[in-house]
Amino acid sequence: MNKAQKSKNGNPGLLPFPVIVAATGGDMEAINKVLKHYKGYIIALSTRRLYDEYGNAHLFVDEELRQTLETKLIAKILTFKVE
Amino acid sequence: MRPQTFEERIERQFDTICKQTLKYKARDCYRKIKRQAEREVSFSELSEQDLAQLSVSDEYFKDAYSFNVLGYDITVSDLSLAEALDTLPADRRDIILLAYFLGMKDWEIAERLNLVRRTVAYRRTSTLRELKKFMEGHADE
Repeated sequence: MNKAQKSKNGNPGLLPFPVIVAATGGDMEAINKVLKHYKGYIIALSTRRLYDEYGNAHLFVDEELRQTLETKLIAKILTFKVE
Repeated sequence: MRPQTFEERIERQFDTICKQTLKYKARDCYRKIKRQAEREVSFSELSEQDLAQLSVSDEYFKDAYSFNVLGYDITVSDLSLAEALDTLPADRRDIILLAYFLGMKDWEIAERLNLVRRTVAYRRTSTLRELKKFMEGHADE
């Protein structure tokens, strides 16, 4: 976790308040920051396990799923109300 | 424990909502993938019969009956159906052909044949019944 992403209140893993406000207002830069913040989680969620014909497991990132999740997250950010 | 400030509360709310959204969306996607996987069959595993159902081969006027209605040529490729249609009186047959082979609405047929729409509807259904009787009778023989 780099310093820029650390909350002012010292909460690790939380986005700082100004970024949230900017992102919900539709600011591209802030939205990118949010996406970057949750990138790891998105990749973890879109990692799938496939088995080949010998029964060996292969892990791979489902690119389609990853994009779907990203889109969904952006849509959700824009509906978030700071109140 | 120190009370949460407004900003801190929003930060936490936002974090929770984002994580929840991602989690549930991912769950939806995995369900969809699973559902698809249950129904998916690869082409090589299809039986010949199933493949034949998916394919279409063109047949041009291969022993097909042909009827002429109002200047349209209508070909009927099913032999038993064509025979049954042939036994019907011409005006009844025209209605059936226009309705089911050219896909006309009742009122469109009525306009072209100078009839009332309701007459067309009645003749269409009664002729269908006749056709059914005729074809079932033939199947029994």
